[in-house]
Amino acid sequence: MDLRRSALQTHLKPKKPYQSTADGRRHALHLIRINRVFLSLFCFRQGFYSASHARPGGLARLCMDELTMSTATIGQAYNYKVVRQFIVATIVWGVVGMAMGVFIASQLVWPEMNLDLPWTTFGRLRPLHTSLVIFGFAGSAQFAASYYAVQRTCQVRLYSDKLAAFTFWGWQSVIVVMLITLPLGYTTTKEYAEIEFSGAVWMTVVWVAYAVVFFTTVVQRKTKHIYVGNWFFGAFIVVIAMLHVVNHLSNPVGWFKSYPVYSGATDAMVQWWYGHNAVGFFLTTGFLGMMYYFVPKQVGRPVYSYRLSIVHFWALITLYIWAGPHHLHYTALPDWAQSLGMAMSLILLAPSWGGMINGMMTLSGAWHKLRTDPILRFLVLSLAFYGMSTFEGPMMAIKTVNALSHYTDWTIGHVHAGALGWVAMITFGAIYHMVPKVFGREQMFSTPLINLHFWLATIGTVLYIASMWVNGITQGLMWRAINDDGTLTYSFVEALQASHPGFVVRFAGGVFFLSGMLLMAYNCWRTVRVADVVMAEREAQIA
Amino acid sequence: MIETMLNLFGVVGFWLAIEYCLKHQTPESLEDASLMPSADDPEVARRVELATGKTVKAVAPEEAKPGWGNLEI
Repeated sequence: MDLRRSALQTHLKPKKPYQSTADGRRHALHLIRINRVFLSLFCFRQGFYSASHARPGGLARLCMDELTMSTATIGQAYNYKVVRQFIVATIVWGVVGMAMGVFIASQLVWPEMNLDLPWTTFGRLRPLHTSLVIFGFAGSAQFAASYYAVQRTCQVRLYSDKLAAFTFWGWQSVIVVMLITLPLGYTTTKEYAEIEFSGAVWMTVVWVAYAVVFFTTVVQRKTKHIYVGNWFFGAFIVVIAMLHVVNHLSNPVGWFKSYPVYSGATDAMVQWWYGHNAVGFFLTTGFLGMMYYFVPKQVGRPVYSYRLSIVHFWALITLYIWAGPHHLHYTALPDWAQSLGMAMSLILLAPSWGGMINGMMTLSGAWHKLRTDPILRFLVLSLAFYGMSTFEGPMMAIKTVNALSHYTDWTIGHVHAGALGWVAMITFGAIYHMVPKVFGREQMFSTPLINLHFWLATIGTVLYIASMWVNGITQGLMWRAINDDGTLTYSFVEALQASHPGFVVRFAGGVFFLSGMLLMAYNCWRTVRVADVVMAEREAQIA
Repeated sequence: MIETMLNLFGVVGFWLAIEYCLKHQTPESLEDASLMPSADDPEVARRVELATGKTVKAVAPEEAKPGWGNLEI
């Protein structure tokens, strides 16, 4: 027990670098450790920082001294380094991916933004945008959150530091492959699975390593029970592996060209089985795991009903996998398969809302915290958007509704209600929760900035989805309008012209959302770095 | 007929999975499980106990052993 208490002290003390302490040496060492973390993550080598920012003999030398000391105890109990790395990656890919989204939104407002270059056309950059935000931003966020939560709920250090580091660098290399190949035109043409054969194989290797790290950590847990959040993370890992491998089965004819083993309607069905479950498992199940850890933790209350969370888990993973055919209504897919997809999508409303209500009700008796805690506000709003988009989805899966909505901007609006409102918002909440803890700070640099980010993100999301609703319904109605003689009332270009104001509003919404993301990056930067070098040096001199 | 059987199989499988997961659980064990996010941090656990009146069995994490679980690749 003494050993445990001692470990706790070494674990907890770095959380509070600014707390008054009788031991000035320890105080300064904490600052130096934080700076070292900052150096290792952002500058990668000591000399870079010392040459540019520190006076000779000052902080840099102290940092170097610190590196040789044996007192560095941050993260002994848990592996926080890989969590820190994935958090930084989440922010970087979030900024790049969302900026790409705003850029392609501008192309729909001002077509000349395509720049008359093949690499910068909408057709090539749109898959890059989706890949960066799904795999770069959301993927890195889930790596960070799952590695953080699994260690803390299993009360054991992550299995294998080196394999965990491999998953970080491996995953980043996958994103870089996407960043390079997609603008060059190397693509499978399968939505959300555009990465070509060799990249897809490498992605599988990294994912298997992730599964080994995660599940071995769970196996070696110190707790008797496996917390429900880890069930969701586990299902996310297993099902994504299955989807990715099955959808990418293909005959390669070169390093970056392959042909799928499926053809025709079968190929389409496999693709949308994958495509819908990319949403269902990559953008929902893993994030529900995040919700089940971070909402109770931030609220300071247990989850509303643990029994409901178990029912939620089984119902969600049982039903989600069948909903894919609703992407292929009124196509060559057999009618029974379309109806199956529609029925399963409607039933899916029950577990989705069960989970949403379970998350919301966790705030029972603590709703007042929303007044003062913008991190909690992010988490709760994400659940509200989750509830909204999981209601909208089943409605859009009804064949008669889909006849109006399919191929219109309504679908884009629906996706972004989930992507911005649910995925990004819960990621922001989780990152604001984790950053102070894994970087050893008492709290984020600025709470008002978090608040401002919250409002920018909310306004941006509302502008985006409202404009796409209006555009979608306008397009759907204009496309189906016919004259008495059976000819089309409107040409496609007329519908496009009618959509232009919506494209402008969507662009504005994207700018709002991206601005909030940049604020978060700044806030995290200021939280992580030693803001005042002079003060840090002074503190270090005390030591 | 086969469709009906598959549907029944799905519903029964779903029911069995939930029953299996809850088989050995008691109200107390479920409550302990729901408090797991706070259970590795006695400081947070104390705040949760104060707010909810429930007892959190908080344990500080053990310090990792040198070289433990480090796989050479």
